[in-house]
Amino acid sequence: MRNTPIGRVLTRTLAVLMTAVLVSSCAVRTSDMPRDPNTVRIAVNGWVGYEASAEVLAYLLRHEMGYEVQLMRIDEQPSWQALDQGVLDAIVENWGHEDLMELYGPEGNGTVVDGGPNGNDGYIGWYVPRYLVDRYPGIDTLEGIEENIEIFQTAETGGSGEFLGGDPAFVTQDQGMINAFGLDLEIVYAGSEAAQITEVRNRYANEEPALFYFYDPQWLLHELDLVRVELPPYEDGCDADPDQVPCGYPAYDLNKIFRAGFTEDGGSAYEFLDNWQWTNDDQNAVAQLIADEGMDPEEAAGQWVEDNPEVWESWIPDEGDVRR
Amino acid sequence: MATTTTIPSIRSGPGHAVPAPRRRSPFSGDWARLGAVLGLLVVGFLVSRVLNVPAWLGPFPDAFGQALMARLDSVYEWVVTNRNNSPLFVYGFNYVSVGLGTAVVVITQALVLLTWPGVVLLGALATWRVAGWRVTLVVLAAFAVFGLTGLWYEAMTTLSLIITSVLIALVIGIPLGVWAGQSDRVHAAVRPVLDFMQIMPAFAYLLPFVLMFGISNPAAAVVTTVYAMPPVVRITAMAIRGVDQGAIEATTSLGSTPWQLLTKVRLPMAKRTILLGVNQTIMLAVSMVVIASVIGAGGLGDAIYQALAKVNVGQAFEAGLAIVMLAIAMDRVTGAAGHGEHAPEIPRRLRLPVLGAGALAVVVVVLLARLAGVANWPDAVTVSIVGPVNSLEAGLQASIGGIASIGGDVLLHGVLNPLTALLTGTPWPVVVLVAAAIGWIFGGRRVALTSALALLTTGLLGVWENSMNTLAQVLVAAAITIAVGVVVGVLAARSDGLAAVLRPILDAMQTLPPFVYLIPAVALFGIGRIPALAAAFIFALPPVIRLVNDGLRGVSVAAVEAATSQGSTRWQVLTKVQLPLARPSLLLAVNQGIMMVLAMVVMGALVGAGSLGYDVVFGLAQNDLGLGLASGLAIVCLGLFLDRVTQGRRSDA
Repeated sequence: MRNTPIGRVLTRTLAVLMTAVLVSSCAVRTSDMPRDPNTVRIAVNGWVGYEASAEVLAYLLRHEMGYEVQLMRIDEQPSWQALDQGVLDAIVENWGHEDLMELYGPEGNGTVVDGGPNGNDGYIGWYVPRYLVDRYPGIDTLEGIEENIEIFQTAETGGSGEFLGGDPAFVTQDQGMINAFGLDLEIVYAGSEAAQITEVRNRYANEEPALFYFYDPQWLLHELDLVRVELPPYEDGCDADPDQVPCGYPAYDLNKIFRAGFTEDGGSAYEFLDNWQWTNDDQNAVAQLIADEGMDPEEAAGQWVEDNPEVWESWIPDEGDVRR
Repeated sequence: MATTTTIPSIRSGPGHAVPAPRRRSPFSGDWARLGAVLGLLVVGFLVSRVLNVPAWLGPFPDAFGQALMARLDSVYEWVVTNRNNSPLFVYGFNYVSVGLGTAVVVITQALVLLTWPGVVLLGALATWRVAGWRVTLVVLAAFAVFGLTGLWYEAMTTLSLIITSVLIALVIGIPLGVWAGQSDRVHAAVRPVLDFMQIMPAFAYLLPFVLMFGISNPAAAVVTTVYAMPPVVRITAMAIRGVDQGAIEATTSLGSTPWQLLTKVRLPMAKRTILLGVNQTIMLAVSMVVIASVIGAGGLGDAIYQALAKVNVGQAFEAGLAIVMLAIAMDRVTGAAGHGEHAPEIPRRLRLPVLGAGALAVVVVVLLARLAGVANWPDAVTVSIVGPVNSLEAGLQASIGGIASIGGDVLLHGVLNPLTALLTGTPWPVVVLVAAAIGWIFGGRRVALTSALALLTTGLLGVWENSMNTLAQVLVAAAITIAVGVVVGVLAARSDGLAAVLRPILDAMQTLPPFVYLIPAVALFGIGRIPALAAAFIFALPPVIRLVNDGLRGVSVAAVEAATSQGSTRWQVLTKVQLPLARPSLLLAVNQGIMMVLAMVVMGALVGAGSLGYDVVFGLAQNDLGLGLASGLAIVCLGLFLDRVTQGRRSDA
């Protein structure tokens, strides 16, 4: 190679950098990322119910306790990863994920801990609109779906029936259930909760057939008349093989997940999140303001806080600890 | 992404010059052969249907792909459990990731500390000094948009991510470019790497970087750097190569050392061109930070991503506007700094005092703002355009929604489904052979080999069916885009009025981040492949129109006049003279159009388009490295195939 000056400079710089790295014996852990102790970092997963919880908590932390709050929009599994890497402090609505708890929890990496229930009960299942049940009695059962499978055919799925999925990030065993029940259904993922709701609403307005993945707590259930499809009840281990799941979803006690370090150095912010518990109706009230009335999430949280002091006052830790 | 086309000739390097057309109608022979090959594909499909495919010709054997995915999954598990133990991480990647994470946080904190009046004043003064008062007005307008949309903090987050990534890209890219500019061997080694970096749809390589550098800012900074670096390397190398040989020889004969030659002659003479590369790098960084919001980068991109998740057109438009203003301001500043024409003339002895006065003014303003308690932009001073935009969108949907969805169904049933069936239903060896044949027709032997290997690799990765599905979507969207783009481009080339009207619209469209286009598409077409195609069409249309327009306008007036004087009709002039002579631009338009459609179609997974893009999203969301990475690589393979085939014969040269 021609002895070009830039080449020499680069080689020299590289050599210096290499020695610097080798000489310095300090190993860097990802948790060494600098963190502002006055900022609480909460994950926001991709459904509006979660957003409602996170926004109300953020509002109280900001306005009642003087913290800065960073809400990071990120999917469920990556949120756990972020807790593990010390980038986030808390997940405020967790659906199951026993496998992740094994990986990152006290038995595994020891970087995250279970923060106990947040008061919400979670249900995941298959739903059809009420008008469909009136028109095709029994369509809210597996047999009914099988009999009437052709009404679910769409341009997108061709010969198979369409099963409308939600966000690719959501907890799902639908493909395993479809396999196990032997239904000729093809899953079309809407890509996000709102896209799925838009599609369901359009069909609802025209009374078109729809069969879809949905869940509770969910504000839309108060607006549209939807019926749960009867599925075989969940039994321990029936979802062991993801390709063959002959049962419905388990019932979830939704819980909080904290970064292990946050429980030690989180101060009154941690205490506050630890105290927090509310009902499905509380969450739906805020979620409905955000998603249906299109209110700015922060404003919606503010309005709920103003209207419901008796609910949240007990969450705030004793005055002495609060950084006002 | 949006601005890759501004300087098209850079991308292809010196080998770009396409020989003048050998035939009167340059495409006819190729088209006949292409028709024969496609006929073969259809025959292959029909024969295999009728004869009931023999087992060995069935679906692509996926044993290798499955093994690969399982292997990758175990790599993922290893990384998760060893991220804070293994020397590879604690002495390697973690340095980068903590360093970058810290840099972004520190810059954001600094911008917050400066308060908004301080940032505005600093930005305005700095701009005035390097680019003059006209550009300062643009910068002030951008700041006003950040504040008035209520996105000040988000804009600062994005700005600090861009600053970090661009600095790294320049620190690595400029020396590398200088090196490549001086050494042929380095140049030859670097070029294919840069080619590869530019073909890869950004969406496809988020996952491995998240794995190596951790979620959020660090990975976002790295992907943005990787995405934004190629132009500055290419353009710097080109600029250094382009320095006048006479000047170099003169200096060498005076006994300069190589280092003096570089710093005193080459770099100063190449400075203006290098600044053009810096400009391109910044523009790419702006568009990438939006995509990086998928991995938790926050900022303006996050605002758009949230708007997509809520199907809120108005919110997306607002955040999109803020990004467009950011992009325009940064473009004008670096552009003007490159020219250096409008910068104020300040006598040398006054420069230091002016600098000092400026710094003092900023400090005073920051202190005043802090004391007066206006550090944060007041929430009351915002103008929301979300409402009006949403009602406009609702009106649009009510009026053309029905027609749009019927059109979508026709496209789905009439074109997309049959094509998908053809590609997935034909035995895979036939498809690979056909790809090779198409490569041969358009590019020669080497392209044929690349095409066949690229498609074979998608199969080996275990995602053959999804790849064919994605390919079908890309081909349909690209065909529509190119057809419309060429027609509009021709019209624009013939009418100065139309061209003048189109210019600012195309500029704005090219600066808008790709996500923005998905949102109205969902509102109009529902979910599925059609909205993804619609978004890809809108996204890829501007560069096609622009390249066709530029190409036709570049055809020499003499050639057109000669044809006219011989009594050719306008149609004849267009088809026999202008289009053939503009062939290089047309080829580039096709190439750029297809590549941009590919980038967008995979993002269509966010609105239900499925196939490869869905698996990438799924891989990211569910930490499924095997599937996510295999699908990402398959997208790259498709990109390689489409790029090589549409680059024309020069690859053989």
